[in-house]
Amino acid sequence: MPKFILDDKEIEFTQGQTIIEAAKQHGIDIPYFCWHPSLSVSGNCRMCLVEVEKMPKLVIACSTIAAEGMVVHSQSQKTIEARNAVMEFFLINHPLDCPICDEAGECKLQDYAYQHSVGESRFVEEKVHKDKRVPLGPLVMFDAERCISCSRCIRFCDEIAKDPELTFIKRGDRVTIVTYPGEELDNPYSLNTTDICPVGALTNRDFRFQARVWDMSDTKSICIGCSRGCNSEIWVRNNEVLRLTPRYNEDVNSYWMCDHGRVNTYKFINAEDRVKGPFIRKEGNLIQVSWEEAYSQTASKLKSFNKDEIAFIASPFATCEDNYVFKKFAQSIIGSKHLDFMRHVDPNFGDDILRKNDTTPNTLGCELLGISPNKSGLNLEGIFNGIKQKKIKAAYIIEDDLITVNPELENIFTELDLLIVHSTNFNRTTSIADVVFPSATYAEKNGTFVNFQGRVQRIRPAVASIDVDRAVDGLSLSRLDKFGTKYDSWAEKNKRDAKSSWKILTSLSAFFNNKFKFNLTEDVFDEISKNIKAFNKLDYDVIGEKGILLENINKEQSIKV
Amino acid sequence: MGVKKREKDFTVWERIYIPEIVKGLSLTLKSMFKPKFTMKYPEEKFIPSASYRGRPVLVMENNGEERCVACGLCSRVCPPLAIEVQASETEREKERYPEKFEINMLRCIFCGFCEEVCPEEAIVMSKDYDLAFTNRADAIYGKDKLLVPVNQLYDRIEFLRQYK
Amino acid sequence: MSVLEIIVFTVVKIVLILTVMLLMVSYLVYFERRVSAWVQNRLGPNRVGWEGVLQPFADVFKLLLKEDIVPVKANQFIHTLAPVIALFVAFATYAVIPIASPLKIFGYEIPLVVADVNIGVLYVLALTSVGVYAITLAGWSSGSKYSLFGGIRSSAQMISYEISMGFSVAGVLLFAESLRPIAIVQSQGSWMWNAWIQPIGFITFVVSAFAETNRLPFDLPEAEPELVGGYHTEYSSMKFAAFFLAEYANMIIAAGMIVTLYLGGYNLPFFNIESLGLANWLTVIIQIGSFFIKMGVLLFFFLWIRWSLPRFRYDQLMSIGWKVMFPLSLINLIWVAVLIMVFNL
Repeated sequence: MPKFILDDKEIEFTQGQTIIEAAKQHGIDIPYFCWHPSLSVSGNCRMCLVEVEKMPKLVIACSTIAAEGMVVHSQSQKTIEARNAVMEFFLINHPLDCPICDEAGECKLQDYAYQHSVGESRFVEEKVHKDKRVPLGPLVMFDAERCISCSRCIRFCDEIAKDPELTFIKRGDRVTIVTYPGEELDNPYSLNTTDICPVGALTNRDFRFQARVWDMSDTKSICIGCSRGCNSEIWVRNNEVLRLTPRYNEDVNSYWMCDHGRVNTYKFINAEDRVKGPFIRKEGNLIQVSWEEAYSQTASKLKSFNKDEIAFIASPFATCEDNYVFKKFAQSIIGSKHLDFMRHVDPNFGDDILRKNDTTPNTLGCELLGISPNKSGLNLEGIFNGIKQKKIKAAYIIEDDLITVNPELENIFTELDLLIVHSTNFNRTTSIADVVFPSATYAEKNGTFVNFQGRVQRIRPAVASIDVDRAVDGLSLSRLDKFGTKYDSWAEKNKRDAKSSWKILTSLSAFFNNKFKFNLTEDVFDEISKNIKAFNKLDYDVIGEKGILLENINKEQSIKV
Repeated sequence: MGVKKREKDFTVWERIYIPEIVKGLSLTLKSMFKPKFTMKYPEEKFIPSASYRGRPVLVMENNGEERCVACGLCSRVCPPLAIEVQASETEREKERYPEKFEINMLRCIFCGFCEEVCPEEAIVMSKDYDLAFTNRADAIYGKDKLLVPVNQLYDRIEFLRQYK
Repeated sequence: MSVLEIIVFTVVKIVLILTVMLLMVSYLVYFERRVSAWVQNRLGPNRVGWEGVLQPFADVFKLLLKEDIVPVKANQFIHTLAPVIALFVAFATYAVIPIASPLKIFGYEIPLVVADVNIGVLYVLALTSVGVYAITLAGWSSGSKYSLFGGIRSSAQMISYEISMGFSVAGVLLFAESLRPIAIVQSQGSWMWNAWIQPIGFITFVVSAFAETNRLPFDLPEAEPELVGGYHTEYSSMKFAAFFLAEYANMIIAAGMIVTLYLGGYNLPFFNIESLGLANWLTVIIQIGSFFIKMGVLLFFFLWIRWSLPRFRYDQLMSIGWKVMFPLSLINLIWVAVLIMVFNL
């Protein structure tokens, strides 16, 4: 492999790599604004200037191809002076907006001002004034004064979102960004521009001014918007989810995430209509009851039916663990043969970038776990017919709002004598249910999803509930969480009474003669890895932060996505 | 074994002890008639100088708007985590304003870091020192209690400009 | 006087003396707080009533409302008995201290002392010794090491100082040739106070009185830095108040005894009031006034000393008791004997 010398260190590189890429690979940070690993090189910020011996002037590391025997200095006197100069230019017209700027705390310019700037401005004249609040699109707000004209957003729209909407206009210090006439920054990936914006010029209107970044805790999770399973981070303050950001995983979503996943997949967690505890229908109304009462009543109601009169409908929104225990409950405790789940496919949703037509995170997981009827059992269609023909008298549905998806089902389900539902929020399905258990959202539990590629990925609790304690259960802690007492509003607020579906089913199993012995999500997954071939030899540590591709699936299962 | 000599051996006069007691008594007797400095608090109030750090307050401009832009730096720097700020958007030029600004006076230690870190001179230490609550909820001061007109705070602001 | 009349007069006197004593005790506490404040350049309690004069009542109400806590390991009965003994001894002692010459009213001659007994001084010494039991029992029954230490220290201290106290009193008795307090007062006349005649005895008695009442600089039994609260660490509410009141009542007794034994009792200094031939009731009032003023000055002295002198170390306390006070009281006894022999007083 060819080598070059960077700061007195020999560095190997592959042919065609730029200096900055090779340096990054070897853990050497060369500062940059406009360069982005996934975007084309524009080389206009000049922040990555390095000194290359035998070159007359400093060169930008992002567009200089590394060559054999090159001697590069990224910490020499000349480079440092050049960086200081570049920073001074940036800061001439950059407003002192940090107190009101959402980017503060995760701002590249702010960081570099500490690392690579002399700390004082010689500029005493009036700064250039531009528009402060320009809505570029429905989700993105633009502050022209803060913009350092790195063109990352423009390149993102052109190259990644494949929907050119933005461009520079004017020249010199008047240069600014606008949308093309008649266009709006409304592509389905527009919020990525706020992530890659190195300053606070582009901000997320959905999150604007909600919280300072240092007040939030971040938890590595998975987006539930579609079967891509984009790696995401959940940002929580005061036990409330405030935003989702993409987490780099080259094999799944690279640096990106779609706007649907960011904006539409967390609000129900904070919503007012969350199921606040177990509910049982008494005299026509859903009444909140204690967990004990809910379990014993549900068990005695289930026992009053013949095992073949009960249908079980699992959910591709639920984790593998939930579905596995659900299946086990249906088959080994009740002994029902009728088990299936509903697929959610939206042919208009998918695209060639990230989005998939399957709008659930765990369809493949359900298939791999064998969520399907036994030989003589009824599938979903069969169950619906069975209800109409009064062969099925009771149904147990977890974490899927079937009626909202298919309103016709309302008439079918009202035929049932007993409808048990696990749900995070009250919805049309719960409104006709006889028993409603509050199930934890994906931000409140541990578990795994299998995305369309067959990659098992972990979700982790980010929001504390009565069942999951922030400190005891090892949730990520923000600065405030570490020091909260029971008297502080931020520490005890919004703690909901919800449990993972597998936990509810495990507790319920105690009222039958065969109690499950699961204490932790890990216990469930251990059993899955023992019993389901596709998950063989896996555990949470092996899955890690980036997930792992299941190797055996093509041999064992046919994929019908 | 040598006897350890004291720094100062007592004279016979001192060893009689009684005269020394009389000396001590005369000292305490004298101080009994010295003027007292105690202030009779609720009737007589101590008016602190500008350097005094009483309860932190938010500066309210003459038009009734707060200076605060809800940057959260006070909340970040606050050692006992007493300050909670929720920002929100406003049509005003400053874009941000505190939708909620709460100081838990049970947590506050009157260190004045919030005032020191404030980029807008929006939170300053006032001269209020008589704070009493009968329950925890009362100790959480919201914007209604925190906002104080700027003309009552001029001397503190002047002090800060001079010495901060 | 018939037996019935004696009983009636005695009961009236007891009630009067008890009331006066309780008031004095309460206000002594109040003055202690004020004096300490003045010494320390403060104001002291000045809120309840004019200049805080109602403070003692506020304190009593507060203490009455407090929860009475008895430790699990305490001996319930003795724990309750101890403050009762303390209070009883403190108030009973006062029975023999005369506050004025007899009052002639409605044809009766009433001695202004509850019990004009012949062995009054002995009675006082005996009862104060019983007072040690209160403290020792309190310390022992609390089931706490701090209380126990306080109790043990107290008994050791009281026994030690009682000896010098007894020998000091012996000097006075030699002069008066009586154990009857009224006789002692009368023997001193208006100017021949025992304090002048036997100054060493006076000093040893005063010092011993401080030690006997557990006042600073001899308050080892309740040395806060070492023993939390000493023998009453585990007491609360009115039981604690009982000890507190007993301590101040003891101070008043001590002051009364010093006045009676050494400072001419109720007589006016350098002036024989009876020679003026005033009406009996006037004489009595002046004598009562004289007695209480003398006592007041002494009590102020008690407070003043407390806020001026630091506490002795325990070994210093013991060595002063045995090596200084005891020999001094013996010297005083010899001095008195010599005076009587030489001057044939």
